[in-house]
Amino acid sequence: MKDSQAFDHRPDPELGAALRAALEPKDDQKTFVARVMAQYERALDRATIPTLDVLASWFRPGMAAAVAALIAGFLIGRTVLAPVPASIDAAMAPFEGPGLAALVTAQDPPDASVVFTSLVDQR
Amino acid sequence: MFAERKGGGGREGKDPGAAGSQPPTGAARMGSSEEDKGLVAKTLAGDRDAFGILVERYAAQARRVARAVLGDPDDADDAAQDGFLSALVKLAQYDTRRPFGPWLMRIVANAATDRRRRRNVRQAESLDPALVGGGPRPDTVAMRNELGARLRTALGALSERRRTAVVLFDVEGYSHAEIAGILGIPEGTVRSEVFHARRRLRTLLADWKEQTP
Repeated sequence: MKDSQAFDHRPDPELGAALRAALEPKDDQKTFVARVMAQYERALDRATIPTLDVLASWFRPGMAAAVAALIAGFLIGRTVLAPVPASIDAAMAPFEGPGLAALVTAQDPPDASVVFTSLVDQR
Repeated sequence: MFAERKGGGGREGKDPGAAGSQPPTGAARMGSSEEDKGLVAKTLAGDRDAFGILVERYAAQARRVARAVLGDPDDADDAAQDGFLSALVKLAQYDTRRPFGPWLMRIVANAATDRRRRRNVRQAESLDPALVGGGPRPDTVAMRNELGARLRTALGALSERRRTAVVLFDVEGYSHAEIAGILGIPEGTVRSEVFHARRRLRTLLADWKEQTP
């Protein structure tokens, strides 16, 4: 082989033959082919079934996560959207009236009629 | 992906890389390329025998390329097998407008590289002092074996990309452009890798010739 062949665009037959001999497998090619073909079905099964297995294995955790997310979303949404009174006076304002005053200042347990009167007044 | 599987055992198929010591010419590989596409179509249709023929055709080439990457012949066979089975699974992704060989060799080379990384195989084979330093004058067969061992050692001392490139070019007959596609590197880099690998291996061959009568 000449030095100029190092940049040759064609394969070098001498070097190629020597390398081929050096890398040539020692055993029969048919043994190797049989070995590969013995894995044929298994390779195809691995390529298809695991996809379904993976999807199935993720179904239950996925559903549980979705339900948990829905519940969390509902609770957070309800908290956020609920009206928050600005002060205790504002909160008590709808209940002001003689019924409420009697209920708060009374020493004795409230009479049921007073409570109902207070509620009816709010209506 | 695959139609119903057909066929039983493999059939005899022509191995474009096994016969003779010369790499396949472009025309020869173009001719077999059409047959390859037919075999791919049959394999996709579920014909097991068709895949068997493809394996027979490319077994020698795939094993050599994997050995160029890995060095160890057993590891190389494992990697070549991984490559074939991976190609089988990905066969629907193969672009039939392109030749089958480079597509397959890319998968085989990747399988070999993956195996090399997984097993943390040393990049170079251990240097045998008896081989490098010479020894008693052996007979012709032993001399050929010794040359093979020296070449493997020299290949092992090259980078993985460099030795794969030179094997694909000088042994398997792929073009620089095809090797660029197989290795995923620019064509200019392939030329450079082949050049440097050749220079190293040529020196070894020249030394060998001087030593032999």
